[in-house]
Amino acid sequence: MPEIRFKDIVKQYGYVTVLEDLNLKVSDGEFLVLLGPSGCGKTTLLNMLAGLVEVTAGEITIGGKDVTDLDPKDRGLAMVFQSYALYPTKTVEGNLKFGLAAQKLPKAEVMERVNWAADLLQIQPLMKRKPAELSGGQRQRVAIGRALVKNVEVFLFDEPLSNLDAKLRTEMRLEIKKLHNELQKTIVYVTHDQVEAMTMATSIAIMNQGVIQQFGSPDDVYENPANLFVAKFIGAPPMNIIAATIAIKGKKILATHAASGVSMDISKYDFTHKPADGAKVYVGMRPEHFAIGSDITGKEAASFDLPVLYAEKPGSDGNAYLNSGDEQIAVRIESAMVKDLQGADARLKIAFPHDKFSVFDAQTESRI
Amino acid sequence: MAIRYSWMSPRLALIPAMVITAVAFVGAIGWTIYISFTKSRRFPNYDIYWENFWRQYKRLFNDPNWETSINNLIFMTIGSALAILFGFILAVLVNKEKTGEGVFRTIYLYPLAVSFIVAGIVWRWMFNPVLGIENFLIELGFENASFNWLAHKDTAMWGVIIAIVWHGMGFYLALMLAGLKSINDEIWNAAKLDGISPWKFYTEIVIPMLKFTFLTCAILLSLGVVKTYDIVLAMTGGGPGTSSWTPAYFVVNAYATRGNMGYASSAAFMMLLITFAIFLPLVLLTRWQTKRKEREAV
Amino acid sequence: MANIDISEREFKQYPKKKKKIKGSSIITFIFLAMIALAVLVPLYVIIVTSFKTLDQITLGRIFDLPTTWTFEGWNKAWSEVCSGMTCNGVKAGFFTSIKILIPSIAISVGLASITGYALALWKIKWAGSFLFVLFICAFVPFQVIMIPLVLITAKLGIYGTFWAVAIVHGVLSMPFLTLIFRNFYKDIPPELINAALMDSGSFWRIFGEIVLPMSGNIIIVVLILVITGVWNDFLIGLTFGGFGAQPMTVILANTVITGTGAVRYNVDMAAALLTALPPLIVYFALGKFFVQGISAGAIKG
Repeated sequence: MPEIRFKDIVKQYGYVTVLEDLNLKVSDGEFLVLLGPSGCGKTTLLNMLAGLVEVTAGEITIGGKDVTDLDPKDRGLAMVFQSYALYPTKTVEGNLKFGLAAQKLPKAEVMERVNWAADLLQIQPLMKRKPAELSGGQRQRVAIGRALVKNVEVFLFDEPLSNLDAKLRTEMRLEIKKLHNELQKTIVYVTHDQVEAMTMATSIAIMNQGVIQQFGSPDDVYENPANLFVAKFIGAPPMNIIAATIAIKGKKILATHAASGVSMDISKYDFTHKPADGAKVYVGMRPEHFAIGSDITGKEAASFDLPVLYAEKPGSDGNAYLNSGDEQIAVRIESAMVKDLQGADARLKIAFPHDKFSVFDAQTESRI
Repeated sequence: MAIRYSWMSPRLALIPAMVITAVAFVGAIGWTIYISFTKSRRFPNYDIYWENFWRQYKRLFNDPNWETSINNLIFMTIGSALAILFGFILAVLVNKEKTGEGVFRTIYLYPLAVSFIVAGIVWRWMFNPVLGIENFLIELGFENASFNWLAHKDTAMWGVIIAIVWHGMGFYLALMLAGLKSINDEIWNAAKLDGISPWKFYTEIVIPMLKFTFLTCAILLSLGVVKTYDIVLAMTGGGPGTSSWTPAYFVVNAYATRGNMGYASSAAFMMLLITFAIFLPLVLLTRWQTKRKEREAV
Repeated sequence: MANIDISEREFKQYPKKKKKIKGSSIITFIFLAMIALAVLVPLYVIIVTSFKTLDQITLGRIFDLPTTWTFEGWNKAWSEVCSGMTCNGVKAGFFTSIKILIPSIAISVGLASITGYALALWKIKWAGSFLFVLFICAFVPFQVIMIPLVLITAKLGIYGTFWAVAIVHGVLSMPFLTLIFRNFYKDIPPELINAALMDSGSFWRIFGEIVLPMSGNIIIVVLILVITGVWNDFLIGLTFGGFGAQPMTVILANTVITGTGAVRYNVDMAAALLTALPPLIVYFALGKFFVQGISAGAIKG
């Protein structure tokens, strides 16, 4: 039921315009992640939806109802805060109940909801404790529980995992995803962590400088970044971006990287509009799409033979960073290869397939 | 090696402070207690009065002026607690209504920069029956207005309390404001989203969260009242009669006016005991809080 | 979809939203303003009275503005009013207060900053116990140690001079100021001190070259506390100054409270205002630090 719409939203603080003419639609049951670096306006957007920050101009609707000037409590949503914002003077049970105090529900109903949430989040044994006596992960669960008991259709999460350590973060990520699958409520989730966004979201809005750079499914933003910012923001290591000049030779479209002299055959790239001869572009290549060494068939769109700057092994896979003249090129390699590439004059032959390029205009930095 | 070089310096640097503590505080306190058992009068006499060891204390507890002082101490503590209450209410309102926060705080706090002597003089002037506020009220048409509080035994202390509240309210406001601001913004936001009424939010969340601030205020206030001297002198001179004496006033009077060192010392020692009695809860609470914090950190 | 930096974005004026100013908000504001006015009443009264003629004062009407503004009260207060046998105005007290203030500042700030530094940043096993003792000392009422201090200063031969007053101020404020400095220095990252220890192990060099340059704020806070505290003190000046070194508050009290002869309210108020002026100026000029000083003072232990 509750589809959320932001219409021509503007936010100014004094003479600084933080958000300008922002439009966004969140469908019912969606898990939307607002992703972006700090200061991009994502938290402001969330707080405006919650009613904690006033909009300068524009309209916010929830389920078709204009809520722009409504008090936070009348908007029918629940929020989980970055610092959890548990009431320190109340027990866990008190925290869950206190949020319902304003709704004047019958006692039995309150107990039922509290017990339901406590069971769901496995916090029953903690009910009599104060927040100060809980671990970070437990507080997080209580904070989620306090939102759940309100039995609303829209949940807001403001960087809820940023205060947890890496292991707990992974655990809670799964837990929140599971809750979404079970309850099928609309969630708007703010984070600067792309892993959270990629793993949990059904759709992602990537923001920078108060502008939504791209709105789409996780796969979409990963495979088809709409512009240079998104390409560089998503992925670890991020997409390799190299500056190139277009040369049109008959049916073939070649992009030549000046520093290494390598020509990339991007004829098979799905252009929205074809560049002119001599146009400056950026060519993007994901590190994991390279063919390496003996996997190279010779039919690839481009091949490089470059000196290795360094190789590392952060986990099950390894990364190699190659010197292409001006830019570093990151390549995903098998971890077994890392040792061989750590020598002083190691080189690596790599090749890139026809169908995985991203091409951006050098001027507008948008995908073409 | 470098660290060893400086083993001595910090300890040497602490010597002046330690000498001062040992002589001017610990030693002087002992000295005062000692004097209270001697035959000292206007000049020190270090012979202990063995024949009547508790002499000064017996006198003290039979002295109606000491009784008045103690009664006034309790009365003033309760009365001046209004300063904490007003301070808290104003802090809540200033914090809520952000407009003009800086200006309001500056105005509420300026009396603290004024000495008690000056404060006392101004308030005495305003309490002046012929030329002060009473006259102003009568001219306004309140024929029965009576603001000549300082001239009557029953009301003189109230007059002093008004001046003390005026003088100290801003201090407690500043402390309370700092306490309110230390509460995480997100808790206020959570309460807004939950639609919790301000009354419920303040009574069930904010005030319990600030209980340590309240206790600190209460103790600082009580300690301030024990030391109250200047403002009483400036406003009432201890009068009418001896009705507005305080323990501090009693000690200075016993020493400077009556010229009895032994007697003044016994009263001073009682002041110290009162101070410790007020102070002990704070010490215990601080200890308890640090322990709890340590536990949380584990 | 270029990424214009937010700060470079063109500013467009949007129609101001009809902000619903809540009634409760107006009431709150009016209430706060009324309290502010009430708090200002004594200041107002003291100022207008000091400029009135004695004739106007005797008419009553304490809140009226002066019909003719006159500096007569101020002149008399500054140079003519009598304290005991001498009639030199509060002027004499002003200079005595300054003479007391300067050594007081040097003694208390010097002593407290070094002690606080040693206790906060150097590993001394008994630092905790010593701090606890200082904490208690900070709350000992002056009257409790007054008599022995009089005897000590008399023995030292400084009783009745401004030195006695200044030294007693320095001594009495030491525990409290030490705690403030210590709490401030405690928050200096230990890495910084460790690094300094590796480079130069000298206690004094680390203090002079690293810690002191970082202490600007706290020194201002402490200076304000010391200046207002010493200037506003009455009892210490009265007790230790004798007749020769009476600070301004003592002169004021002698003039106004125990003074004999015809009461001249305008002169009294001018004298009180003159006495209150230096700390008030400090307060209004450096109010921000004043508030910090209060918080620093209260959240100790």
